[in-house]
Amino acid sequence: MLQVMASEFLKIRRKMILFLIFLGPLGVIVLEAINFGVRYDYLTDLYRNDLWKGLMGEVSMLFTPSLMLGLTIITSMIANIEHETDAWKQLFALPVTRTEVFLGKWFLATILLFVFCALLAGGTIVLGTFLNYGPDIPYLYLLKKSFFPYFAAMPFLALQIWLSIAWKNQAIPLTVGIMGTILSMYSFEFPDWLPWKWPYLENSWGEPLYFVWAGLLTGTILLVTALIDFNRKDVK
Amino acid sequence: MSQTIIETNHLTKQFGSRIAVNNLDIQVTQGEVYGFLGPNGAGKTTTIRMLLGLSRPTRGSIHIFGKDIKKEKLSVLKKVGSLVENPSYYGHLTAVENLEAIRILLNAPKSRIEEVLSMVRLDKDANRPVKKFSLGMKQRLGIAAALLGKPKLLILDEPTNGLDPSGIIEIRELIKSMPKEHGVTIVVSSHLLSEIDQMATQVGIISNGTMIFQDSITALRKRAKSRIRLTVSEAESARKKLLSLGYPASFSDNRIYIENRSDQKVAEIVRQLVHEHYSVYRVEEERKSLEEIFLRLINGKGNQ
Ligand SMILES: Nc1ncnc2c1ncn2[C@@H]1O[C@H](COP(=O)(O)OP(=O)(O)OP(=O)(O)O)[C@@H](O)[C@H]1O
Ligand SMILES: [Mg+2]
Repeated sequence: MLQVMASEFLKIRRKMILFLIFLGPLGVIVLEAINFGVRYDYLTDLYRNDLWKGLMGEVSMLFTPSLMLGLTIITSMIANIEHETDAWKQLFALPVTRTEVFLGKWFLATILLFVFCALLAGGTIVLGTFLNYGPDIPYLYLLKKSFFPYFAAMPFLALQIWLSIAWKNQAIPLTVGIMGTILSMYSFEFPDWLPWKWPYLENSWGEPLYFVWAGLLTGTILLVTALIDFNRKDVK
Repeated sequence: MSQTIIETNHLTKQFGSRIAVNNLDIQVTQGEVYGFLGPNGAGKTTTIRMLLGLSRPTRGSIHIFGKDIKKEKLSVLKKVGSLVENPSYYGHLTAVENLEAIRILLNAPKSRIEEVLSMVRLDKDANRPVKKFSLGMKQRLGIAAALLGKPKLLILDEPTNGLDPSGIIEIRELIKSMPKEHGVTIVVSSHLLSEIDQMATQVGIISNGTMIFQDSITALRKRAKSRIRLTVSEAESARKKLLSLGYPASFSDNRIYIENRSDQKVAEIVRQLVHEHYSVYRVEEERKSLEEIFLRLINGKGNQ
Protein backbone atom coordinates (compact mmCIF):
# COMPACT_ATOMS: atom_id res chain seq x y z
CA MET A 1 0.00 0.00 0.00
CA LEU A 2 2.91 2.34 0.73
CA GLN A 3 4.20 1.65 -2.76
CA VAL A 4 0.82 2.46 -4.25
CA MET A 5 0.81 5.77 -2.39
CA ALA A 6 4.36 6.59 -3.52
CA SER A 7 3.32 5.90 -7.09
CA GLU A 8 0.18 8.02 -6.74
CA PHE A 9 2.15 10.97 -5.41
CA LEU A 10 4.61 10.64 -8.27
CA LYS A 11 1.77 10.68 -10.79
CA ILE A 12 0.36 14.04 -9.67
CA ARG A 13 3.66 15.76 -10.33
CA ARG A 14 3.39 18.66 -12.74
CA LYS A 15 -0.41 18.48 -12.63
CA MET A 16 -2.48 21.46 -11.56
CA ILE A 17 -3.66 19.45 -8.56
CA LEU A 18 -1.11 20.76 -6.05
CA PHE A 19 -1.61 24.26 -7.34
CA LEU A 20 -5.35 24.00 -6.74
CA ILE A 21 -4.76 22.82 -3.21
CA PHE A 22 -3.03 26.15 -2.58
CA LEU A 23 -5.26 28.22 -4.75
CA GLY A 24 -8.50 27.23 -2.99
CA PRO A 25 -7.60 28.40 0.53
CA LEU A 26 -5.71 31.36 -0.89
CA GLY A 27 -8.80 32.43 -2.81
CA VAL A 28 -10.98 32.19 0.29
CA ILE A 29 -8.52 34.19 2.38
CA VAL A 30 -8.11 36.86 -0.31
CA LEU A 31 -11.89 37.24 -0.64
CA GLU A 32 -12.24 37.52 3.12
CA ALA A 33 -9.39 40.02 3.22
CA ILE A 34 -11.33 42.14 0.76
CA ASN A 35 -14.54 41.61 2.76
CA PHE A 36 -12.87 42.72 5.97
CA GLY A 37 -10.90 45.44 4.23
CA VAL A 38 -14.00 47.05 2.80
CA ARG A 39 -16.24 46.55 5.83
CA TYR A 40 -13.56 46.68 8.53
CA ASP A 41 -15.32 49.04 10.92
CA TYR A 42 -18.71 47.43 10.52
CA LEU A 43 -17.47 43.85 10.95
CA THR A 44 -15.10 44.71 13.78
CA ASP A 45 -17.98 46.34 15.57
CA LEU A 46 -20.32 43.46 14.82
CA TYR A 47 -17.92 40.86 16.26
CA ARG A 48 -16.50 43.05 19.00
CA ASN A 49 -17.19 40.38 21.62
CA ASP A 50 -14.95 37.89 19.88
CA LEU A 51 -13.16 39.19 16.86
CA TRP A 52 -11.39 35.92 16.06
CA LYS A 53 -14.52 33.80 16.19
CA GLY A 54 -16.28 36.37 14.05
CA LEU A 55 -13.54 36.15 11.44
CA MET A 56 -13.57 32.36 11.51
CA GLY A 57 -17.33 32.32 11.06
CA GLU A 58 -17.09 34.57 8.02
CA VAL A 59 -14.26 32.48 6.54
CA SER A 60 -16.20 29.25 6.95
CA MET A 61 -19.15 30.64 4.97
CA LEU A 62 -16.90 30.65 1.92
CA PHE A 63 -14.75 27.77 2.97
CA THR A 64 -17.39 25.04 3.01
CA PRO A 65 -18.57 25.51 -0.58
CA SER A 66 -14.98 25.83 -1.75
CA LEU A 67 -14.18 22.56 0.02
CA MET A 68 -17.09 20.84 -1.73
CA LEU A 69 -16.07 22.23 -5.08
CA GLY A 70 -12.41 21.50 -4.41
CA LEU A 71 -13.05 17.86 -3.62
CA THR A 72 -15.13 17.49 -6.77
CA ILE A 73 -12.34 18.84 -8.94
CA ILE A 74 -9.48 17.10 -7.15
CA THR A 75 -11.09 13.65 -7.28
CA SER A 76 -11.89 14.11 -10.94
CA MET A 77 -8.33 15.14 -11.73
CA ILE A 78 -6.90 12.21 -9.80
CA ALA A 79 -9.09 9.73 -11.66
CA ASN A 80 -8.50 11.42 -14.98
CA ILE A 81 -4.76 10.78 -14.78
CA GLU A 82 -5.62 7.16 -15.57
CA HIS A 83 -8.59 7.80 -17.87
CA GLU A 84 -6.67 10.13 -20.15
CA THR A 85 -4.63 7.43 -21.85
CA ASP A 86 -6.51 4.33 -20.69
CA ALA A 87 -3.79 3.64 -18.18
CA TRP A 88 -6.05 1.49 -16.02
CA LYS A 89 -5.26 -1.56 -18.07
CA GLN A 90 -1.54 -1.06 -17.57
CA LEU A 91 -2.01 -0.44 -13.87
CA PHE A 92 -4.14 -3.51 -13.26
CA ALA A 93 -1.84 -5.78 -15.20
CA LEU A 94 0.69 -5.03 -12.44
CA PRO A 95 0.77 -6.94 -9.19
CA VAL A 96 -1.54 -4.63 -7.27
CA THR A 97 -5.09 -5.31 -6.15
CA ARG A 98 -7.94 -3.15 -7.27
CA THR A 99 -8.71 -2.42 -3.65
CA GLU A 100 -5.21 -1.03 -3.14
CA VAL A 101 -5.47 1.15 -6.21
CA PHE A 102 -8.90 2.48 -5.32
CA LEU A 103 -7.94 3.14 -1.71
CA GLY A 104 -4.74 4.76 -2.95
CA LYS A 105 -6.67 7.26 -5.04
CA TRP A 106 -9.12 7.89 -2.23
CA PHE A 107 -6.38 8.32 0.33
CA LEU A 108 -4.49 10.70 -1.95
CA ALA A 109 -7.59 12.88 -2.23
CA THR A 110 -8.08 12.67 1.54
CA ILE A 111 -4.53 13.83 2.23
CA LEU A 112 -4.69 16.64 -0.32
CA LEU A 113 -7.95 17.94 1.09
CA PHE A 114 -6.55 17.73 4.59
CA VAL A 115 -3.73 19.99 3.43
CA PHE A 116 -6.38 22.21 1.85
CA CYS A 117 -8.10 22.60 5.24
CA ALA A 118 -4.82 23.05 7.12
CA LEU A 119 -3.75 25.80 4.74
CA LEU A 120 -7.04 27.51 5.31
CA ALA A 121 -6.58 27.39 9.08
CA GLY A 122 -3.11 28.88 8.65
CA GLY A 123 -4.42 31.52 6.28
CA THR A 124 -7.09 32.53 8.77
CA ILE A 125 -4.45 33.14 11.44
CA VAL A 126 -2.41 35.22 9.03
CA LEU A 127 -5.45 37.27 8.05
CA GLY A 128 -6.55 37.83 11.66
CA THR A 129 -3.06 38.93 12.60
CA PHE A 130 -3.07 41.41 9.75
CA LEU A 131 -6.40 42.73 10.97
CA ASN A 132 -4.80 43.26 14.39
CA TYR A 133 -7.17 40.93 16.19
CA GLY A 134 -4.68 40.28 18.91
CA PRO A 135 -2.78 37.28 20.20
CA ASP A 136 -5.66 35.37 21.82
CA ILE A 137 -6.36 33.01 18.97
CA PRO A 138 -9.03 30.38 19.83
CA TYR A 139 -7.11 27.50 18.32
CA LEU A 140 -9.59 24.80 19.26
CA TYR A 141 -12.42 26.71 17.67
CA LEU A 142 -10.29 27.21 14.57
CA LEU A 143 -9.56 23.51 14.30
CA LYS A 144 -13.25 22.74 14.59
CA LYS A 145 -14.15 25.28 11.94
CA SER A 146 -11.46 23.97 9.61
CA PHE A 147 -11.68 20.21 10.04
CA PHE A 148 -15.24 19.43 11.08
CA PRO A 149 -16.55 20.34 7.61
CA TYR A 150 -13.83 18.10 6.17
CA PHE A 151 -14.99 15.08 8.14
CA ALA A 152 -18.64 15.89 7.53
CA ALA A 153 -17.87 15.99 3.78
CA MET A 154 -16.42 12.46 3.71
CA PRO A 155 -19.52 10.99 2.01
CA PHE A 156 -18.94 13.38 -0.88
CA LEU A 157 -15.29 12.49 -1.10
CA ALA A 158 -16.18 8.80 -1.37
CA LEU A 159 -19.00 9.47 -3.82
CA GLN A 160 -16.92 11.73 -6.07
CA ILE A 161 -13.90 9.45 -6.22
CA TRP A 162 -16.26 6.57 -7.02
CA LEU A 163 -18.04 8.43 -9.82
CA SER A 164 -14.82 9.87 -11.24
CA ILE A 165 -13.20 6.46 -11.44
CA ALA A 166 -16.28 4.63 -12.70
CA TRP A 167 -16.94 7.01 -15.60
CA LYS A 168 -14.37 7.88 -18.18
CA ASN A 169 -16.43 10.92 -19.10
CA GLN A 170 -15.68 13.36 -16.30
CA ALA A 171 -18.71 15.51 -17.15
CA ILE A 172 -20.81 13.13 -15.05
CA PRO A 173 -18.93 13.34 -11.72
CA LEU A 174 -18.26 17.05 -12.23
CA THR A 175 -21.94 17.78 -12.80
CA VAL A 176 -22.95 15.77 -9.75
CA GLY A 177 -20.32 17.49 -7.62
CA ILE A 178 -21.10 21.01 -8.76
CA MET A 179 -24.85 20.51 -8.39
CA GLY A 180 -24.19 19.15 -4.91
CA THR A 181 -22.11 22.18 -4.02
CA ILE A 182 -24.83 24.56 -5.14
CA LEU A 183 -27.50 22.50 -3.42
CA SER A 184 -25.52 22.54 -0.19
CA MET A 185 -25.39 26.33 -0.19
CA TYR A 186 -29.15 26.37 0.23
CA SER A 187 -29.15 23.58 2.77
CA PHE A 188 -30.05 25.60 5.88
CA GLU A 189 -33.67 24.68 5.51
CA PHE A 190 -33.02 21.02 4.75
CA PRO A 191 -33.81 18.28 7.24
CA ASP A 192 -30.78 17.20 9.25
CA TRP A 193 -30.51 13.77 7.65
CA LEU A 194 -29.55 15.20 4.24
CA PRO A 195 -25.76 14.90 3.85
CA TRP A 196 -25.58 18.12 1.81
CA LYS A 197 -26.30 19.97 5.01
CA TRP A 198 -23.60 18.29 7.06
CA PRO A 199 -20.47 20.20 5.98
CA TYR A 200 -22.09 23.41 7.24
CA LEU A 201 -22.39 21.82 10.67
CA GLU A 202 -25.62 23.66 11.53
CA ASN A 203 -28.14 21.32 13.10
CA SER A 204 -31.15 21.46 15.37
CA TRP A 205 -29.19 20.12 18.36
CA GLY A 206 -26.54 22.77 17.99
CA GLU A 207 -23.96 20.01 18.07
CA PRO A 208 -21.65 19.97 15.02
CA LEU A 209 -20.02 16.75 16.21
CA TYR A 210 -23.14 14.80 15.24
CA PHE A 211 -22.50 15.71 11.63
CA VAL A 212 -18.85 14.78 11.93
CA TRP A 213 -19.79 11.28 13.06
CA ALA A 214 -22.56 10.99 10.49
CA GLY A 215 -20.10 12.07 7.79
CA LEU A 216 -17.43 9.58 8.84
CA LEU A 217 -19.92 6.74 9.06
CA THR A 218 -21.70 7.46 5.79
CA GLY A 219 -18.35 8.09 4.10
CA THR A 220 -17.09 4.69 5.19
CA ILE A 221 -20.25 2.94 4.00
CA LEU A 222 -20.02 4.64 0.62
CA LEU A 223 -16.34 3.83 0.32
CA VAL A 224 -16.95 0.14 0.98
CA THR A 225 -19.83 0.09 -1.51
CA ALA A 226 -17.63 1.78 -4.11
CA LEU A 227 -14.86 -0.76 -3.50
CA ILE A 228 -17.23 -3.67 -4.01
CA ASP A 229 -18.53 -2.11 -7.22
CA PHE A 230 -15.02 -1.37 -8.48
CA ASN A 231 -13.80 -4.90 -7.81
CA ARG A 232 -16.67 -6.39 -9.75
CA LYS A 233 -16.17 -4.52 -12.99
CA ASP A 234 -14.00 -5.31 -16.00
CA VAL A 235 -11.19 -2.87 -16.63
CA LYS A 236 -11.75 -0.55 -19.56
CA MET B 1 12.05 -30.03 -20.14
CA SER B 2 9.28 -27.97 -21.58
CA GLN B 3 6.79 -26.69 -19.14
CA THR B 4 3.35 -25.35 -19.94
CA ILE B 5 3.27 -21.64 -19.18
CA ILE B 6 -0.23 -20.75 -20.33
CA GLU B 7 -3.12 -23.14 -20.50
CA THR B 8 -6.71 -22.13 -21.07
CA ASN B 9 -9.71 -24.40 -21.09
CA HIS B 10 -12.87 -23.53 -22.98
CA LEU B 11 -12.10 -19.88 -22.46
CA THR B 12 -15.15 -17.88 -23.48
CA LYS B 13 -16.10 -14.21 -23.31
CA GLN B 14 -19.51 -12.92 -24.12
CA PHE B 15 -20.53 -9.27 -24.39
CA GLY B 16 -24.28 -9.37 -24.05
CA SER B 17 -25.40 -11.93 -26.57
CA ARG B 18 -22.31 -11.48 -28.68
CA ILE B 19 -19.61 -14.09 -28.27
CA ALA B 20 -16.22 -12.43 -28.72
CA VAL B 21 -14.10 -15.40 -27.68
CA ASN B 22 -15.39 -18.92 -28.00
CA ASN B 23 -14.03 -22.02 -26.26
CA LEU B 24 -10.35 -21.26 -26.64
CA ASP B 25 -7.89 -23.91 -25.56
CA ILE B 26 -4.55 -22.17 -25.66
CA GLN B 27 -1.31 -23.97 -24.89
CA VAL B 28 1.94 -22.10 -24.61
CA THR B 29 5.12 -23.88 -23.60
CA GLN B 30 8.16 -22.41 -21.94
CA GLY B 31 10.67 -20.58 -24.11
CA GLU B 32 8.38 -20.30 -27.11
CA VAL B 33 7.36 -17.20 -28.99
CA TYR B 34 3.67 -17.82 -29.43
CA GLY B 35 2.22 -15.85 -32.32
CA PHE B 36 -1.41 -15.10 -31.72
CA LEU B 37 -2.77 -14.34 -35.12
CA GLY B 38 -6.17 -13.22 -36.33
CA PRO B 39 -7.90 -10.57 -38.41
CA ASN B 40 -9.32 -7.38 -36.88
CA GLY B 41 -12.04 -8.10 -34.38
CA ALA B 42 -11.11 -11.77 -34.08
CA GLY B 43 -10.86 -11.60 -30.30
CA LYS B 44 -7.12 -11.30 -29.70
CA THR B 45 -7.28 -8.32 -27.37
CA THR B 46 -10.29 -9.74 -25.56
CA THR B 47 -8.36 -12.96 -24.94
CA ILE B 48 -5.25 -11.13 -23.77
CA ARG B 49 -7.31 -9.02 -21.36
CA MET B 50 -8.63 -12.19 -19.80
CA LEU B 51 -5.14 -13.68 -19.56
CA LEU B 52 -4.07 -10.62 -17.60
CA GLY B 53 -7.07 -10.68 -15.31
CA LEU B 54 -8.34 -7.36 -16.69
CA SER B 55 -11.65 -8.88 -17.61
CA ARG B 56 -13.46 -11.91 -16.35
CA PRO B 57 -14.09 -14.89 -18.58
CA THR B 58 -17.74 -15.72 -19.06
CA ARG B 59 -16.75 -19.38 -18.97
CA GLY B 60 -13.61 -21.44 -18.86
CA SER B 61 -10.38 -21.33 -16.92
CA ILE B 62 -6.91 -19.88 -17.27
CA HIS B 63 -3.76 -21.28 -15.74
CA ILE B 64 -0.50 -19.39 -15.97
CA PHE B 65 2.67 -20.94 -14.50
CA GLY B 66 0.30 -23.69 -13.39
CA LYS B 67 -1.65 -21.26 -11.20
CA ASP B 68 -5.30 -20.43 -11.54
CA ILE B 69 -5.42 -16.74 -12.48
CA LYS B 70 -8.71 -16.34 -10.65
CA LYS B 71 -7.21 -17.42 -7.35
CA GLU B 72 -3.59 -16.35 -7.57
CA LYS B 73 -3.72 -13.32 -9.81
CA LEU B 74 -1.12 -11.22 -8.01
CA SER B 75 1.54 -13.88 -7.77
CA VAL B 76 1.06 -14.60 -11.48
CA LEU B 77 1.14 -10.93 -12.50
CA LYS B 78 4.41 -10.42 -10.62
CA LYS B 79 6.11 -12.48 -13.30
CA VAL B 80 4.22 -11.15 -16.31
CA GLY B 81 5.02 -8.11 -18.41
CA SER B 82 2.36 -6.85 -20.75
CA LEU B 83 1.33 -4.34 -23.35
CA VAL B 84 -2.34 -4.19 -24.26
CA GLU B 85 -3.61 -2.44 -27.37
CA ASN B 86 -2.68 1.24 -27.63
CA PRO B 87 0.09 2.16 -25.21
CA SER B 88 -0.84 3.55 -21.80
CA TYR B 89 1.30 6.33 -20.38
CA TYR B 90 1.14 9.41 -18.23
CA GLY B 91 1.61 12.28 -20.67
CA HIS B 92 2.64 14.90 -18.13
CA LEU B 93 5.48 12.76 -16.83
CA THR B 94 8.81 12.02 -18.48
CA ALA B 95 9.70 8.55 -19.70
CA VAL B 96 11.79 7.96 -16.58
CA GLU B 97 8.99 9.12 -14.29
CA ASN B 98 6.50 6.94 -16.12
CA LEU B 99 8.68 3.91 -15.56
CA GLU B 100 9.34 4.96 -11.96
CA ALA B 101 5.60 4.98 -11.23
CA ILE B 102 5.50 1.36 -12.38
CA ARG B 103 8.85 0.34 -10.92
CA ILE B 104 7.69 1.28 -7.42
CA LEU B 105 4.79 -1.13 -7.73
CA LEU B 106 6.98 -3.90 -9.07
CA ASN B 107 9.69 -3.39 -6.48
CA ALA B 108 12.31 -3.57 -9.23
CA PRO B 109 15.76 -2.01 -8.74
CA LYS B 110 16.10 1.60 -9.88
CA SER B 111 18.90 0.72 -12.29
CA ARG B 112 16.42 -1.34 -14.28
CA ILE B 113 14.82 1.83 -15.68
CA GLU B 114 17.96 2.78 -17.55
CA GLU B 115 18.38 -0.78 -18.79
CA VAL B 116 14.92 -1.05 -20.32
CA LEU B 117 15.10 2.42 -21.81
CA SER B 118 18.25 1.49 -23.68
CA MET B 119 16.73 -1.83 -24.73
CA VAL B 120 14.04 0.08 -26.61
CA ARG B 121 16.43 2.90 -27.57
CA LEU B 122 14.72 5.65 -25.69
CA ASP B 123 17.75 6.62 -23.60
CA LYS B 124 18.09 9.93 -25.40
CA ASP B 125 14.48 10.90 -24.70
CA ALA B 126 14.43 9.63 -21.15
CA ASN B 127 13.75 13.01 -19.60
CA ARG B 128 11.24 14.42 -22.02
CA PRO B 129 7.54 14.55 -21.22
CA VAL B 130 5.86 11.63 -22.90
CA LYS B 131 2.99 13.63 -24.36
CA LYS B 132 5.52 15.05 -26.82
CA PHE B 133 6.54 11.55 -27.94
CA SER B 134 5.58 10.15 -31.32
CA LEU B 135 3.28 7.12 -31.44
CA GLY B 136 6.21 4.82 -32.08
CA MET B 137 8.12 6.24 -29.12
CA LYS B 138 5.10 5.73 -26.88
CA GLN B 139 4.90 2.17 -28.12
CA ARG B 140 8.55 1.68 -27.22
CA LEU B 141 7.92 3.10 -23.79
CA GLY B 142 5.08 0.61 -23.38
CA ILE B 143 7.44 -2.21 -24.27
CA ALA B 144 10.02 -0.85 -21.84
CA ALA B 145 7.36 -0.84 -19.13
CA ALA B 146 6.52 -4.45 -19.94
CA LEU B 147 10.17 -5.44 -19.52
CA LEU B 148 10.67 -3.53 -16.29
CA GLY B 149 9.99 -6.35 -13.85
CA LYS B 150 12.18 -8.90 -15.67
CA PRO B 151 9.09 -10.96 -16.48
CA LYS B 152 9.12 -14.69 -17.11
CA LEU B 153 6.20 -14.22 -19.46
CA LEU B 154 5.67 -11.33 -21.84
CA ILE B 155 2.25 -10.73 -23.34
CA LEU B 156 2.38 -8.16 -26.12
CA ASP B 157 -0.71 -7.11 -28.03
CA GLU B 158 0.35 -5.80 -31.44
CA PRO B 159 3.71 -4.52 -30.16
CA THR B 160 4.92 -3.21 -33.50
CA ASN B 161 1.86 -1.05 -34.03
CA GLY B 162 2.96 2.43 -35.08
CA LEU B 163 6.63 1.58 -35.39
CA ASP B 164 8.68 2.48 -38.42
CA PRO B 165 10.39 -0.32 -40.39
CA SER B 166 13.64 -0.10 -38.48
CA GLY B 167 11.69 0.02 -35.22
CA ILE B 168 9.79 -3.09 -36.24
CA ILE B 169 13.02 -4.91 -36.92
CA GLU B 170 14.55 -3.80 -33.62
CA ILE B 171 11.55 -4.92 -31.60
CA ARG B 172 11.34 -8.15 -33.54
CA GLU B 173 14.98 -8.91 -32.84
CA LEU B 174 14.44 -8.02 -29.20
CA ILE B 175 11.48 -10.38 -28.98
CA LYS B 176 13.37 -13.17 -30.68
CA SER B 177 16.39 -12.78 -28.41
CA MET B 178 14.48 -12.84 -25.12
CA PRO B 179 13.69 -16.57 -24.97
CA LYS B 180 17.27 -17.47 -25.80
CA GLU B 181 18.95 -15.05 -23.43
CA HIS B 182 16.55 -14.99 -20.51
CA GLY B 183 14.34 -18.03 -20.94
CA VAL B 184 11.35 -15.75 -21.30
CA THR B 185 8.15 -17.03 -22.87
CA ILE B 186 6.39 -14.61 -25.18
CA VAL B 187 2.88 -14.26 -26.50
CA VAL B 188 2.67 -11.74 -29.28
CA SER B 189 -0.49 -10.92 -31.15
CA SER B 190 -0.77 -9.53 -34.63
CA HIS B 191 -3.11 -9.40 -37.56
CA LEU B 192 -0.18 -9.74 -39.93
CA LEU B 193 1.01 -13.21 -40.76
CA SER B 194 4.35 -11.98 -42.10
CA GLU B 195 5.07 -10.47 -38.73
CA ILE B 196 4.30 -13.66 -36.84
CA ASP B 197 6.16 -15.69 -39.43
CA GLN B 198 9.33 -13.77 -38.67
CA MET B 199 9.36 -14.20 -34.94
CA ALA B 200 7.04 -16.93 -33.73
CA THR B 201 7.90 -20.53 -33.03
CA GLN B 202 4.31 -21.47 -32.22
CA VAL B 203 1.19 -20.12 -33.85
CA GLY B 204 -2.41 -19.86 -32.76
CA ILE B 205 -4.82 -18.54 -35.34
CA ILE B 206 -8.10 -17.15 -34.15
CA SER B 207 -11.01 -16.08 -36.28
CA ASN B 208 -14.40 -14.92 -35.07
CA GLY B 209 -13.43 -15.86 -31.56
CA THR B 210 -12.61 -19.46 -32.42
CA MET B 211 -9.19 -21.09 -32.59
CA ILE B 212 -8.79 -22.53 -36.05
CA PHE B 213 -5.16 -23.54 -35.94
CA GLN B 214 -2.66 -24.11 -33.19
CA ASP B 215 0.68 -25.72 -33.82
CA SER B 216 4.31 -24.94 -34.51
CA ILE B 217 5.17 -22.48 -37.24
CA THR B 218 6.89 -25.32 -39.08
CA ALA B 219 3.64 -27.25 -39.15
CA LEU B 220 1.95 -24.21 -40.61
CA ARG B 221 4.65 -23.83 -43.20
CA LYS B 222 4.32 -27.49 -44.15
CA ARG B 223 0.82 -26.71 -45.25
CA ALA B 224 2.32 -24.57 -47.86
CA LYS B 225 2.57 -27.20 -50.59
CA SER B 226 5.07 -26.39 -53.23
CA ARG B 227 5.25 -27.39 -56.86
CA ILE B 228 7.90 -27.25 -59.54
CA ARG B 229 7.60 -24.79 -62.38
CA LEU B 230 9.38 -25.47 -65.64
CA THR B 231 9.96 -22.88 -68.27
CA VAL B 232 10.76 -24.64 -71.53
CA SER B 233 10.60 -24.06 -75.23
CA GLU B 234 7.37 -25.18 -76.86
CA ALA B 235 5.75 -25.72 -73.51
CA GLU B 236 2.47 -27.08 -74.77
CA SER B 237 3.99 -29.89 -76.76
CA ALA B 238 6.51 -30.57 -74.01
CA ARG B 239 3.66 -31.09 -71.58
CA LYS B 240 1.97 -33.57 -73.91
CA LYS B 241 5.24 -35.42 -74.21
CA LEU B 242 5.55 -35.61 -70.42
CA LEU B 243 1.98 -36.86 -70.10
CA SER B 244 2.60 -39.54 -72.67
CA LEU B 245 5.68 -40.62 -70.74
CA GLY B 246 3.53 -40.95 -67.62
CA TYR B 247 4.43 -37.78 -65.71
CA PRO B 248 1.39 -35.82 -64.55
CA ALA B 249 1.95 -32.22 -65.56
CA SER B 250 -0.24 -29.20 -65.91
CA PHE B 251 0.11 -26.27 -68.19
CA SER B 252 -0.67 -22.66 -67.62
CA ASP B 253 0.76 -19.31 -68.56
CA ASN B 254 3.08 -20.98 -71.04
CA ARG B 255 4.73 -22.92 -68.26
CA ILE B 256 4.62 -26.47 -67.08
CA TYR B 257 3.83 -27.35 -63.47
CA ILE B 258 4.61 -30.66 -61.86
CA GLU B 259 4.14 -31.91 -58.33
CA ASN B 260 7.11 -31.43 -56.09
CA ARG B 261 8.71 -34.82 -55.81
CA SER B 262 12.11 -36.20 -54.98
CA ASP B 263 15.22 -34.67 -56.51
CA GLN B 264 15.74 -37.80 -58.65
CA LYS B 265 12.25 -37.56 -60.09
CA VAL B 266 12.75 -33.92 -61.03
CA ALA B 267 16.11 -34.72 -62.56
CA GLU B 268 14.54 -37.54 -64.53
CA ILE B 269 11.90 -35.24 -65.94
CA VAL B 270 14.45 -32.66 -66.95
CA ARG B 271 16.58 -35.33 -68.57
CA GLN B 272 13.60 -36.57 -70.56
CA LEU B 273 12.82 -33.07 -71.79
CA VAL B 274 16.40 -32.48 -72.83
CA HIS B 275 16.47 -35.86 -74.49
CA GLU B 276 13.40 -34.85 -76.51
CA HIS B 277 15.24 -31.68 -77.60
CA TYR B 278 13.27 -29.18 -75.64
CA SER B 279 15.30 -26.34 -74.17
CA VAL B 280 14.88 -26.10 -70.41
CA TYR B 281 15.28 -22.46 -69.42
CA ARG B 282 14.29 -22.56 -65.77
CA VAL B 283 13.40 -25.09 -63.08
CA GLU B 284 11.88 -23.37 -60.04
CA GLU B 285 10.11 -24.31 -56.90
CA GLU B 286 6.94 -22.37 -56.26
CA ARG B 287 5.45 -22.16 -52.81
CA LYS B 288 1.94 -21.22 -51.91
CA SER B 289 2.52 -18.31 -49.60
CA LEU B 290 1.71 -18.48 -45.93
CA GLU B 291 -0.54 -15.53 -46.53
CA GLU B 292 -2.64 -17.68 -48.83
CA ILE B 293 -2.84 -20.42 -46.23
CA PHE B 294 -3.82 -17.92 -43.60
CA LEU B 295 -6.56 -16.49 -45.77
CA ARG B 296 -7.83 -19.98 -46.53
CA LEU B 297 -7.84 -20.85 -42.85
CA ILE B 298 -9.78 -17.78 -41.77
CA ASN B 299 -12.21 -18.16 -44.60
CA GLY B 300 -13.18 -21.51 -43.20
CA LYS B 301 -11.39 -23.72 -45.68
CA GLY B 302 -8.88 -24.75 -43.10
CA ASN B 303 -8.99 -28.47 -43.61
CA GLN B 304 -8.19 -28.66 -47.28
N1 LIG C 1 -16.11 -4.04 -24.16
C1 LIG C 1 -16.70 -4.60 -25.23
N2 LIG C 1 -18.04 -4.59 -25.37
C2 LIG C 1 -18.64 -5.15 -26.43
N3 LIG C 1 -17.97 -5.76 -27.42
C3 LIG C 1 -16.64 -5.83 -27.36
C4 LIG C 1 -15.93 -5.24 -26.25
N4 LIG C 1 -14.61 -5.46 -26.45
C5 LIG C 1 -14.52 -6.13 -27.62
N5 LIG C 1 -15.72 -6.36 -28.16
C6 LIG C 1 -15.98 -7.11 -29.42
O1 LIG C 1 -15.29 -8.32 -29.37
C7 LIG C 1 -14.76 -8.64 -30.65
C8 LIG C 1 -13.28 -8.92 -30.53
O2 LIG C 1 -12.59 -7.71 -30.28
P1 LIG C 1 -11.04 -7.66 -29.99
O3 LIG C 1 -10.70 -6.28 -29.61
O4 LIG C 1 -10.68 -8.75 -29.05
O5 LIG C 1 -10.44 -7.97 -31.42
P2 LIG C 1 -8.91 -8.04 -31.88
O6 LIG C 1 -8.67 -9.42 -32.37
O7 LIG C 1 -8.03 -7.56 -30.81
O8 LIG C 1 -8.91 -7.05 -33.12
P3 LIG C 1 -7.81 -6.00 -33.64
O9 LIG C 1 -6.88 -6.72 -34.55
O10 LIG C 1 -8.62 -5.01 -34.37
O11 LIG C 1 -7.13 -5.41 -32.45
C9 LIG C 1 -15.10 -7.48 -31.56
O12 LIG C 1 -16.20 -7.86 -32.34
C10 LIG C 1 -15.46 -6.36 -30.62
O13 LIG C 1 -16.46 -5.56 -31.19
MG1 LIG D 1 -6.77 -5.86 -30.62
